[in-house]
Amino acid sequence: MRRTAALLSSHGGAGGRSIPQALAAVLVCPLSKKPLRYCEASGSLVSDAVGVSFPVVDGIPCLVPKDGRLLDDHQEKSEQDSSTGDSSG
Amino acid sequence: MASSAAAAAARRLLLLRHRHGHLLPKRHLSSSSAADSLDDGGGGGGRVKIFDRDLKRRHRDRAAWAMREADGFVDAVADNLLDRLEDCRKAFPSALCLGGSAGAVRRLLRGRGGIEKLIMMDMSADMVRKWRESENATDDGPETHFVVCDEEFLPIKESSQDLIISCLGLHWTNDLPGAMIQCRLALKPDGLFLAAILGGETLKELRIACTVAQMEREGGISPRMSPLAQVRDAGNLLTRAGFTLPGVDVDSYTVKYNSALELVEHLRAMGETNALFQRNPVLKRDTALATAAIYQSMFGLEDGSIPATFQVIYMTGWREHPSQQKAKRRGSATISFSDIQKQFSPSEN
Repeated sequence: MRRTAALLSSHGGAGGRSIPQALAAVLVCPLSKKPLRYCEASGSLVSDAVGVSFPVVDGIPCLVPKDGRLLDDHQEKSEQDSSTGDSSG
Repeated sequence: MASSAAAAAARRLLLLRHRHGHLLPKRHLSSSSAADSLDDGGGGGGRVKIFDRDLKRRHRDRAAWAMREADGFVDAVADNLLDRLEDCRKAFPSALCLGGSAGAVRRLLRGRGGIEKLIMMDMSADMVRKWRESENATDDGPETHFVVCDEEFLPIKESSQDLIISCLGLHWTNDLPGAMIQCRLALKPDGLFLAAILGGETLKELRIACTVAQMEREGGISPRMSPLAQVRDAGNLLTRAGFTLPGVDVDSYTVKYNSALELVEHLRAMGETNALFQRNPVLKRDTALATAAIYQSMFGLEDGSIPATFQVIYMTGWREHPSQQKAKRRGSATISFSDIQKQFSPSEN
């Protein structure tokens, strides 16, 4: 969870589309209740536990299970790589 | 004769028990670990589905633009619910407001409960957007965030909220105990859960009118109204979900309309129209008109208006905390009640 919050806050000032940190700190995956990760490339919240990405529309995260998109493993990996690169850099 | 009847009764009992044994573990599974078993995306195959949540979502999309600025009935319920916050000495810095009439809750909050951070959520993206617009317009009150989510799959971190309010939303969930358990988990210890749901007496006039009209015009009935929780269930729900110090009370509201059609308009504006899976998608025009006529003739008042009853069940529960009062363990008393009676009764005779 802490990782999610840190990741999100690092993106907080970047664009109006990302989610306020106060909100990001309490949001988890609706299916697994595990932390979510903000993916800047796709502008979505990713649940690594179940491999699903949830869209953020107009600054409002949409965490209805039906709206989630299954990620295939390869894509997930590459997104993870890019996001860890972001946080370290 | 008698013995065969007894045997039949015994068999029925056995059957009943058997069915119970079958049902219970499954239900348990769906309520306690709904979140874990949902990887398949289908929403859990074994669960009983009563309500069409996708349809409800569209209803609420429609309600987002059909909604009135201020709805007398909804405001009364929201105000009554929020009134309970004044009874608590505790402040609730972080609060979560679940779908239903969260807009009214936000508008009527007026600083009650010491809420600093409010998260509002609903299934319908349009509804959430509408709330955000009205929030931007007023620009006072607590810091508010918006999320689109399903009450059945609450995306809130464990032990993160001081208060969860649900105003007229939870009666559309398929798994009400499961939703309430998720709420309890999202609460901090000593956090408060406040909910208002519609009870079984709601719209009894319409229920009767629908049934009579369908019998008359179609020779049979189909479910036009959703099953609602009874008052006696509410307390069980709270304890089953694991809330401490449960409190339940009931209020009945009678709303007067000019005609049954106006009542249906109001239900649409509230997003409270039928979303049963087993609904009949066809409503014949003459059945609808017959319903309106029967409603008018059976329940109409002298002044030509028709009354509609809304029964609202208010539920209050807390997440467990050592500071809360608790009943002692059964059998832990050391003094007999008869001794106490002897002590307090006037000496002899």
